[in-house]
Amino acid sequence: MKKQILICCGTGCRANGSMKVAEALNQAVKSHNGNAKVIADIKTTGCHGFCENGPIVKILPDNLVYYKVKPEDSDEIVEKSVLGEEEIGRLMYKDDSGRPVRSQEENPFYAHQYKMVLRDVGEIDPENIGDYLERGGYEALRKAVSMSQDEIIDEVEKSGIRGRGGAGFPAGRKWRTAKRYDNFPKYVACNGDEGDPGAFMDCSILEGNPHSVIEGLAIAAIAVGAKEGFFYIRDEYDLAVKRIKKAIQDAEERGIIGASVMGSEYSLKLSVVRGGGAFVCGESTALMASIEGRVGEPRAKYIRSVQRGLWNQPTVLNNVETLANIPKIILEGGEKFAMTGTKGSTGTKVFSLVGKVKRTGLVEVPMGTTLRHLIYDIGGGIIGNRPFKAVQTGGPSGGCIPESMLDLEVDFDSLASYGAMMGSGGMIVMDDRSCMVEVARYYTNFLCEESCGKCTPCREGLRRMLEILTDICEGRGREGDIELLERLGHTMQEASLCSLGKTAANPVLTTIQYFWEEYEAHIREKRCPAGVCKNLTCFEIEAEKCTGCGMCARGCPVDAISGGKKEVHIIDASKCIACGSCRETCKFDAVRTGARQNVIEGRQAV
Amino acid sequence: MTEFQPDNQIQIEINGRACTCTKGEFLLEAARRNGFYIPTLCHHPGIAEQGCCRVCLAEVVENERSKIVVSCVYPVEKPCKVYTDSERVKEDRKVVLMLLALRAPESTEIQALCRQYGVMDGSRFKPIEGEKCIMCGLCARACASLGTGAISTVLRGTSKKISTPYDEPSDVCVGCLSCTRVCPVDAIPYTEDETKRSIWGREFPLVHCQECGAVIGTREEIALAAGKSGEEVQDLCPECRKKKMSDVMAHTYGTE
Repeated sequence: MKKQILICCGTGCRANGSMKVAEALNQAVKSHNGNAKVIADIKTTGCHGFCENGPIVKILPDNLVYYKVKPEDSDEIVEKSVLGEEEIGRLMYKDDSGRPVRSQEENPFYAHQYKMVLRDVGEIDPENIGDYLERGGYEALRKAVSMSQDEIIDEVEKSGIRGRGGAGFPAGRKWRTAKRYDNFPKYVACNGDEGDPGAFMDCSILEGNPHSVIEGLAIAAIAVGAKEGFFYIRDEYDLAVKRIKKAIQDAEERGIIGASVMGSEYSLKLSVVRGGGAFVCGESTALMASIEGRVGEPRAKYIRSVQRGLWNQPTVLNNVETLANIPKIILEGGEKFAMTGTKGSTGTKVFSLVGKVKRTGLVEVPMGTTLRHLIYDIGGGIIGNRPFKAVQTGGPSGGCIPESMLDLEVDFDSLASYGAMMGSGGMIVMDDRSCMVEVARYYTNFLCEESCGKCTPCREGLRRMLEILTDICEGRGREGDIELLERLGHTMQEASLCSLGKTAANPVLTTIQYFWEEYEAHIREKRCPAGVCKNLTCFEIEAEKCTGCGMCARGCPVDAISGGKKEVHIIDASKCIACGSCRETCKFDAVRTGARQNVIEGRQAV
Repeated sequence: MTEFQPDNQIQIEINGRACTCTKGEFLLEAARRNGFYIPTLCHHPGIAEQGCCRVCLAEVVENERSKIVVSCVYPVEKPCKVYTDSERVKEDRKVVLMLLALRAPESTEIQALCRQYGVMDGSRFKPIEGEKCIMCGLCARACASLGTGAISTVLRGTSKKISTPYDEPSDVCVGCLSCTRVCPVDAIPYTEDETKRSIWGREFPLVHCQECGAVIGTREEIALAAGKSGEEVQDLCPECRKKKMSDVMAHTYGTE
């Protein structure tokens, strides 16, 4: 009997020690070599998406999955579950009712997902081209070289696939336009400069299934008539760069790409360019400037890069996830692809679900899945069962969506109609203890640092927005500030040079739209309802709820809490630094927030 | 030069008046050629594709859809209606001018634009004290196009500035003042006396015309020019060179 042990060796699991686990399992298998009944094969794979529970080990064909595996567990795993048929309960995932589950299909995190792009990520060894070929890899490219350029583009157009990088521009239309220009050389490029805080879908695909992206890019090159292509990969994605480079080399050696693509008359040279280290380098024209060796700054895009891109030649730039979808579209047909998702947004989307949810990680669902399904069914709801407040979608230039819109079916158009955006698929969930003004300030500050600084509305507009938001968070907000933010935001949308500037005001504008009262509380009442802005927060203990357990007093870093055993505790507002640790530790929800200034003034009055 | 052929022409309407422009011509040029003045700061005829300051905003209506464009880099490709002073343009320009006035409170050019075109009240904000530069980067691009590259934009976002590498005196600067000449707001400081010029933390000895004594340039600048053109190092000012040349001609052809 033959068994396979898959060990997740994506960046997340590596950070949790998966390479050591792989080594230990190897050792354990070797030392049990005497057993001839079972031949165990060990394979390191890409990311399974459930990184917080890594390292993840999967045993096939039993379909038994273990989480948070340590090197010390390897002997037991080999003895009981590889050579034997026994389960190890402590390493299994417990579902919401506390029952240990065997397979990924039974795990609520995976059960509601629908994997198309991520299907092979976590199943194949990304450094082994044979593994990819075994699963039908490069068959789509073989088919593509036998099709005409227009036939390829027809399929992509039929699929309706829209760019996964953020703007959602139809990929087929982009290819069609690029093909039309009779201006050679043409170029294709893959945007792997994923920079949104908390987002790692492209990283996972590049690391976990690099050949699928290469295959997609090669098909794009053939369709538009390009002979050279570039992978622009975020500089911090060391493993992704390494794997793509190896994959390109392996594909060249096998004659898949290179002087002749799959034995055809097409040729294709692919290379890797490491990102310039700036968030803005993910913007298409800045990315191209960076590939050319110039400073990564966008240019005015009245002439699109399909006409004048790299070195002023027609260039097709697609996102990693878009390209990874292409082989399937070519193999199975665009119509089949279009059956998944919504009318305007076909296929699936990978989201990185992070923040205050119980289960965080990479999830792939059909377009049109509701936020509620994502957050409550897949994510398992809010940590500590606290109330949901908002979900921030689309990265720093996305928007915050409130609870009233939890049943929104997520696709490109629905998000945009609410002032948010799909972006690359980052999804940060916030509970009632997140201050929306502070969230807006955080993103504005991020963009102040990451704007390229070329045009006035973005650079100076962000500077002034940050000035107002900092004032509001620190208790210096004034009447008229909200209107001023809106006015600035409006001009930034209209007059900025690139999409970064045009969308930079989204976090501010959406939080104003949906959480107006929170801004007003900060400005008028000098109160932070979420208890986050320190200058505006004072914590108090509710006598009816306090059990006198003393946990809060023990955790207080400034000894501001006093109270005897089993007596109601009291916070000394003059000592309190509003760090919130008492509120975090209290198991009885007895710590509530009040307005700092009022409390201090009140005390002085007494 | 592109030939001005009839099929290359597009009929557009600017502020209600029918105008003609060449396909692909930048809106700013088309408007100015037809007598409509649009203000600019970072636009320079010798340095293409700037589009940073956003003062030259205009409203373009195409297929009944209206959008704000940056006229200095917006190529007119199809018939459209253009408004250089619509309410929408004015509102956005007032905000842009406020942002610039806060950014560069010392700039008299910006103050003049604010007076002429109106500005949004910026009293809520703290201006950047003593600043004149609007960060358009023309100086760095001029320096680069001369092949010197002594200054460049440094950092990004709100910390962005113009400087020499590591803020140290540049080895390659020749003190030619190209940066100061393209600067739309006169923000680059330099000093000069009879014998030397100081800029970007360095001093450059000045070379005077052998004939009239006028300043020709810095020693480094003249050497660089000679190196590029392959000619001898000049010791005469342009005027005296012309005079010398005509004297030679006159002598040769005997028209004295």
